[in-house]
Amino acid sequence: MCGVSGILYKKSGAQAQAPIGEDLVKMLEAMTHRGKDSSGVTVVGEYPEGDLLIRIWVDAAFQVPDTLTRAEETVLRSGGVVKSKADWGQFLRLAVNYDGEIRLLAEALLDTEGVALHSIGQVSEVIKDEGTPVDMDRKHAVSRLRGTHGIGHVRMATESRVDVNHAHPFWAYPFADVTVVHNGQLTNYHKLKRMFEDQGHRFQTSNDSELIAVYLADKLAHGENLTQTLEDSLEDLDGTFTYLVTTKDGLGYAKDQWSAKPLVTMETDDIVAIASEEVALRGVFPGELDRLEPQNHEVMTWLL
Amino acid sequence: MVTLDAAKMTNRQLNLRLKELAREQADITVLNPQAGHNIAVGILEPCKIKIKGSVGYYAASLMDGPEVSIEGNAGWGLGDNMMAGKITLSKDAGASVASTIRGGEVFVGGNAGARAGISMKGGTLVVAGSSGFLTGFMMQKGRIIVCGDAGEAVGDSMYEGTIYVAGNIGSLGTDTQVADISEEELLEIWGLLDSHGIEQRPRFTKVVSAKKLYHYDSLERLEKTVI
Repeated sequence: MCGVSGILYKKSGAQAQAPIGEDLVKMLEAMTHRGKDSSGVTVVGEYPEGDLLIRIWVDAAFQVPDTLTRAEETVLRSGGVVKSKADWGQFLRLAVNYDGEIRLLAEALLDTEGVALHSIGQVSEVIKDEGTPVDMDRKHAVSRLRGTHGIGHVRMATESRVDVNHAHPFWAYPFADVTVVHNGQLTNYHKLKRMFEDQGHRFQTSNDSELIAVYLADKLAHGENLTQTLEDSLEDLDGTFTYLVTTKDGLGYAKDQWSAKPLVTMETDDIVAIASEEVALRGVFPGELDRLEPQNHEVMTWLL
Repeated sequence: MVTLDAAKMTNRQLNLRLKELAREQADITVLNPQAGHNIAVGILEPCKIKIKGSVGYYAASLMDGPEVSIEGNAGWGLGDNMMAGKITLSKDAGASVASTIRGGEVFVGGNAGARAGISMKGGTLVVAGSSGFLTGFMMQKGRIIVCGDAGEAVGDSMYEGTIYVAGNIGSLGTDTQVADISEEELLEIWGLLDSHGIEQRPRFTKVVSAKKLYHYDSLERLEKTVI
């Protein structure tokens, strides 16, 4: 079991000032019973002071200040400039000016001692940690983050290990701004992972949800639109899954052919909210509401 | 008439109080359910419970006797394993509504999600709107009446029981067949719809088991007495 949630403010494009972080925390808090191993969100629409926003987790075996210095050197060596930096606990957030290929910068950072990459995005960032959504908010002030849309997750681990790097959302390394949260299990994970590895992709975890992110981002990078990409995934991914995806300007969900994992959606003229359970939607829409329950083999996308 | 405010109680407190009141065969109103899970579970006495708002998973499940009405939506597993009683839901039900019920009646005023009436062992499920994927999956007894459309694989792998669909059938499930419906059956169903304020008089497609999937011929003597 896991809980997923998503939100998009349809008219928030220009200012990107919708309370995405706060909404996601409220929705996830109401679903804490679906998983207490870890929590995480992607918030899209935070326009950083640089070209790219980089979220890094520092391996406990390494000193944070040293790793920060090494990460800065890596950015510099890759042709980028660090415009601002922040660190708390084992987490680093860098805003970087960089106009090269994201894959090269990501590769260089991954080769930097102590660095685990949680996300690279032009307009989005992944915040994830062990513990409940309330723990995460206390530590990372997620509620303060504003933007246009986002997704969130509470995890009850099944196949892969419980640690901060295996928490959701998964960023689709090395593609900017594509992230996924997932409730389910892929049964052809190893087969597809080998296929991507043969093409030179470098996976950061042994979690099947990372594969979904990479699968989608790879299709998007080849020019497919989001809806088509999600529809393709229904044929190519085996197993039980309900997942949500964010891109720079879109939000979508896909549900497997068995309708094995729950999802409800609520849409008004202004807002789209999606969650595993109705109880979570009430964080955004207090009072009684008309929600839809998507069936099997379904996808839906919303673009800003 | 007793009113309980679910927002001011834990789920356990609410259910314990409901059980106490049920023993007195009370009329109970529950306010502010807020789509919470496991509301009114395991009530074994006849009583009336009115829930003013949406409920989460497994509402009114494991019950034997009460009449429960819910003004709102329900999550997965509404009425799960009911022995007897009546559940009336005003809006949509999530997946697996009336799963494994052995008796009683569940009425869904809106649409039902996937696997409505999965593994029913008796009783009646009425869906005023449409039902989703795998309606009546592995059903063993009882009847399901869908006034709108039913999704793919209706009655898949059903052993016994009957599914009536007024609208379109997405597809028939494995080992099912369409059977003739008698006027008596129709009149009875229309009467049932009447009792829920549905005035339409639809004709229904009747779906039953084709009985080719399981080895009905090689049943033990005792098993034969069951079906």
